[in-house]
Amino acid sequence: MGFSIPQIDWLSLALPVAYLFVLGGSLYTFSTIYRKRKAAQSANLAPWFGPHLQRDIYLSLLHLDQRDDEQGKEKKEASPRIPDSVIRAALLRRAVEDIHRLVQIRTAKQACSALLQKGSVGDDLWQRFQRAEKELEDELRDVVMEANALAPNWGQIIFQSANEIAANTTLREKLDNIQEQTEAEKAWWEKRRAAIQADFMRELDEGDSKDGKSVSASTAPSSVDGEPDAVVVGAAGKKKKGKKN
Amino acid sequence: MSSLTHFDLLPLQIDPQSKAISATTPSRALEAELANLNSLHRALLSLETPHGIPPPPVPVNPKRSANVAKLRDSGNGEFRKSRFPEAINFYTLGLKMALQRPQWEPNQLIREEVASLYANRAQAHMALTQWAEGAVDAEASVEARRVGNAKAWWRRGRCLVEMGRLEEARDWVRRALGMEGEEGELVALLRDIEARIAKKEEKA
Repeated sequence: MGFSIPQIDWLSLALPVAYLFVLGGSLYTFSTIYRKRKAAQSANLAPWFGPHLQRDIYLSLLHLDQRDDEQGKEKKEASPRIPDSVIRAALLRRAVEDIHRLVQIRTAKQACSALLQKGSVGDDLWQRFQRAEKELEDELRDVVMEANALAPNWGQIIFQSANEIAANTTLREKLDNIQEQTEAEKAWWEKRRAAIQADFMRELDEGDSKDGKSVSASTAPSSVDGEPDAVVVGAAGKKKKGKKN
Repeated sequence: MSSLTHFDLLPLQIDPQSKAISATTPSRALEAELANLNSLHRALLSLETPHGIPPPPVPVNPKRSANVAKLRDSGNGEFRKSRFPEAINFYTLGLKMALQRPQWEPNQLIREEVASLYANRAQAHMALTQWAEGAVDAEASVEARRVGNAKAWWRRGRCLVEMGRLEEARDWVRRALGMEGEEGELVALLRDIEARIAKKEEKA
């Protein structure tokens, strides 16, 4: 049995081949241009977070150090080397800011995805968010690496420390805010008490001028002075309860 | 571009003696951050750990906790002898001690200590009929520990009642009940407040 190789009609084949080329080429160009535009668009999106001041400080300090090394020894007196302890403190500050950002991202994530599903927010917000998330991940990894370079195994605990610092700072701020009200509250209460006493005295005077009837009414304001004893007793009783813990 | 590949170089300089970092062209945010950095740096310098890094949050150095507890106990002792101003002094010292704890120590511990000290100081203020201070301290105590702090909730409510701020007191105690569940004293206080409000409205 012999096959006779069929004659290939190159001329009529050229047309479909050209068609395929044109199709593939146009699809390819479309996809590259589309992707490029998309990338440019997302690059132009506003970043989720503002500039990372702590990170800038940390890197500036490192840079200051290197520049001094390059510029030779004679300048050493003019700009002293940055001590390692300062670098460590700067890195810790940077980690604290990262903790703040991590908390923000985590709280925003649920709300953001819910809003996206409902269609309340646009796609680019979600893109910005995801980019921020990814950048933060890289940032955390970077901090851990830097920490390990500065002190052995610091990377494992730097974020624990940073977490406590962040929480302590917010707690102290809140407590300070509350305690700042003390003076204002005191002043308000002094004024108020003076007003109540004036009222009370006037009522007494009126009561004396008319008859003794309004004395019963005047016991209401006097409860301000009369009650504390009862409170102290009750409070002292509570106190004993409190001592146990 | 990715923010990891670039940073803004800041005009920083270091003081050779104090090692304090400052900015050559200051702005307010930068100043504030550098102040934070310098104070953290000073705190780190006082550490005795091998590499000058803060130790992990647990275990805690027990020295400070013991001091705080001692001050609180002294305050409680004075309180029992009805020497309230002295008790307030001890509590204030204890608070200072507790709040000066290094930042990287567990905040839960600070919350516990501060909550009980503020609550006790509120109590001492109440014994002196200083309702305004008592109210503020009790609020601070609640801020430090919201749940399981019924006494502090009650004390602020009481102080507000004494100052005649009945509506505020009612809202406060209702919130307290939401947090603490049906705590007997709080329920009684709320009933008392509502009775007073009713009486006041009757009068008006």
